[in-house]
Amino acid sequence: MAEHMMETRALAKRFGGLNALAGVDFHIDRGEIVSIIGPNGAGKTTFFNAVSGMYPPDSGDALFKGQSIAGLSPDQITKIGIARTFQNVRLFPNMTVLENVMVARHCRTHKSVLPTIFRSPGFLAEEKEIEDRAKEILSFFGKRLHGYRWEQPAYVLSYANRRRLEIARAMATDPELLLLDEPTAGMNPRESMELRELIGRLRDEWGFTIIIIEHDMRVVRDVSDRVVVLDHGEKLTEGTYDQVSTNPQVIEAYLGRQADQG
Amino acid sequence: MDWRKAVRQGLIGGITISFIVAVGMFQVFDSRKVIDPFLSAGYVLILWVPIVFGYRATRQVLPDGVERRPATGKDVIAGAVAGAITGLVLGLVVVLTALKPDIRNSFLFLSPQMVEKFSYGQSQWFGVGVLTAGGALLGALGGALDLIPATIKRILATVAATVIAFNFAELVVGDILRSAGLRAIDQFLYTSSRGLKPLAALVLSVIFVAARLLLRGRTAGIRQRIATQNSNGKKSWYLLLALIALAAGAWLPNVFGLYLNEVLSNVGLFILLGLGLNIVVGYAGLLDLGYVAFFAVGAYTMAVLTSPASQALTPEMAFFEALPWVLLMAAIAGLIIGTPVIRMRGDYLAIVTLGFGEIIRIAFLSDWLSPITGGAQGILRAGYFPGENRGGVIVQWGLVLAVAGIVALIVGALRWNASRLIESGRLSEVTPYRKPVTYALLAGGVVAVVVGLLFPDFATWVIPGIHPPSMFRIVLVFVAIAAFVSWRLRDSRVGRSWMAIREDEQIAQTMGINIVTTKLLAFVMGAMLASLGGALFAVKLGSIYPHSFEIIQSIIILVVVIVGGMGSIKGVMIGAIVLIGILGGPTQPGLLREFGEFKLLIYGVILVWMMLKRPEGLWPEKRRAQELHQEEMAQDAWLQVEQEPASEGVPG
Repeated sequence: MAEHMMETRALAKRFGGLNALAGVDFHIDRGEIVSIIGPNGAGKTTFFNAVSGMYPPDSGDALFKGQSIAGLSPDQITKIGIARTFQNVRLFPNMTVLENVMVARHCRTHKSVLPTIFRSPGFLAEEKEIEDRAKEILSFFGKRLHGYRWEQPAYVLSYANRRRLEIARAMATDPELLLLDEPTAGMNPRESMELRELIGRLRDEWGFTIIIIEHDMRVVRDVSDRVVVLDHGEKLTEGTYDQVSTNPQVIEAYLGRQADQG
Repeated sequence: MDWRKAVRQGLIGGITISFIVAVGMFQVFDSRKVIDPFLSAGYVLILWVPIVFGYRATRQVLPDGVERRPATGKDVIAGAVAGAITGLVLGLVVVLTALKPDIRNSFLFLSPQMVEKFSYGQSQWFGVGVLTAGGALLGALGGALDLIPATIKRILATVAATVIAFNFAELVVGDILRSAGLRAIDQFLYTSSRGLKPLAALVLSVIFVAARLLLRGRTAGIRQRIATQNSNGKKSWYLLLALIALAAGAWLPNVFGLYLNEVLSNVGLFILLGLGLNIVVGYAGLLDLGYVAFFAVGAYTMAVLTSPASQALTPEMAFFEALPWVLLMAAIAGLIIGTPVIRMRGDYLAIVTLGFGEIIRIAFLSDWLSPITGGAQGILRAGYFPGENRGGVIVQWGLVLAVAGIVALIVGALRWNASRLIESGRLSEVTPYRKPVTYALLAGGVVAVVVGLLFPDFATWVIPGIHPPSMFRIVLVFVAIAAFVSWRLRDSRVGRSWMAIREDEQIAQTMGINIVTTKLLAFVMGAMLASLGGALFAVKLGSIYPHSFEIIQSIIILVVVIVGGMGSIKGVMIGAIVLIGILGGPTQPGLLREFGEFKLLIYGVILVWMMLKRPEGLWPEKRRAQELHQEEMAQDAWLQVEQEPASEGVPG
């Protein structure tokens, strides 16, 4: 079997008596966009947390490009190329928009105290590189995070812009694998549609492989190559959107309720 | 008119004023005359009470959007009632003291002398009348504040500020005038007991009121110009300001007498310590309550290495030989204290560092280390000059020249390398590097190093620790270095990573910041700056005891940083000048020697007041001020966005 870009084997995480993740097997190949769906409390975000190192898994393993990453600290995992965003947007609210992105370049740069104090040419060049790169990434979002926005503190941004800035910050760490946790939550239909387009461009233009947790089925339908359904910490099924959306188990666990409401 | 409010404010005022009298502040300050012989500093300390509470009795707390009711004559009455009650409460305390002399057993300062003071030569009941009437008058003034036209209010405030400032700064003004040969003006201004003469107070007030009225509205343009500068322009403004401050600092010891120089060098030491703590608390957000430990490590390392008095270890180095070891020891101490507390945040971190601070002090006090540190006796003759019985710092200009040469060589080499990289196209041109400057730096550096090392002693500057003017100058050099390092670190990759862990440690880690090394770096940088302060402290005092490093030192340094403005270099400087310069440090006297035993009380009052009214500090970093007024700022920013042409909504 060819090596997957990232895979988990029987990944498990318990919180007290709750099996948040009960042995999840998952894989993603380079260039794929995979959606993870499932009802609330299914373990989707816990899966992200376990992969990104925020909660080390209790058992099972996670492999990134064939190398085990279970038990590594979040900064090490970011450094080897996995970046993420958060369901409840977590920016550095008092840093400016530009600084939020610049700070994420930390793991790709290395100038320390002495060059900093002497403002060595290497330091200056690196600072300029950091700033240029941050501006380049922000310009990916068009005019919304551009120009006068650079110097604004992050907390003045609108909700949709905060989500965009979080994605920009994750992009700035030069990841290969991007984990997006409900990127369209709280966005209006037009913003959500625009983001769907951006997610496609993130893969095509920037070459990211993307795992996305999403509740909005239209987004899932439009962006995913493959859909994985989690319920009660277990993988219920996986397949294309059409396969998954017609699966009776999934409809019972998740889409069924959605259909009742809609 | 709100009677209950007036009475309530009056009673609070009464308690305040009685407290000031009962703890003895009034009595101590009464001996210092503000306007000789009419007004003592003691009265200044109590006269503001009825005015403020009279004003508070009429102040309207308004919900948003409700218009302020115009002030009326009733406000004056309300103020008078509050003021009268304030005076009455103090009067009753006086009567109580007269009737029950036993009260003195609990309140030392509620004494017959106090009764006599407030009886104004008559019976204490007469005193009650005077206090009540005086209180009513001042309270009425407070209540009428909203009725008085703004110009008159401004004049009154200027007069009060002028008189009080000239009195409190009496030493500074006196020293400056005397050194300028203007003793006559000094004698015109002050009486022999150093109070302002009434005529002098009048003249000064007229001058300053006139100046203020003339300048009114004319400073706005300058302020506007500074505010609209771009960041580079602002940077040059600050650089200019820093150079002026440095030059003024180097010149001041010539002007000041010994006492003021002593105050100055204490201020300098606390700026140094504050800048170090500012990196830990202000930049990285790690609340360290045991900061004095690093100060102690610096002081003890310097003392042990330079003094002949330690039993086990007497290398008897000179100050600058010992300095690298001091920095090394501080860095190690920073790592030792930093490592176990890496996983902790907020309150837990504060408590554990508090404990570490005490552990270090007790270790220096212990029998185990006493062969080296001298136990409770401490170490005498720190920074001692071999063959002499005094200590201090010897600056060998040859070596200074060599160090300057090395720095020039480093800078020159960096520039040369940069030019090379730019020419070969591997580095985009960030700033132009002019070649002649580079060659001059390299050549000058070589010459300086060679000459400096050949003739290290071609000139020496001997600074005895007990000579405050020279000590201040050397402290100033270290302060300048510390400020420079803090400034450079703040606007950099390292500074941003500190800021990020201050904002949200978990997220910072997820964004690829190694929190272990980042936090340790903050601890180590803070520790090294503190140890410089400790090293200077050791040679300045000439003897080091464990009790110089009590927990109160940590707290006072923290108060300096908080009051000045966390994360702000200029704020720390202002904080140290205001607190240490005017009030004095925990064991060091300031401008107002009278504060002595009340110092900590005043520190507490200032801290509480600042936290309520200006939590961002006296001269904050813009960012910090935003943080603490986030809601208002967020609203403003929203409004701004709404007014701008809609950049939202158009897909990019």
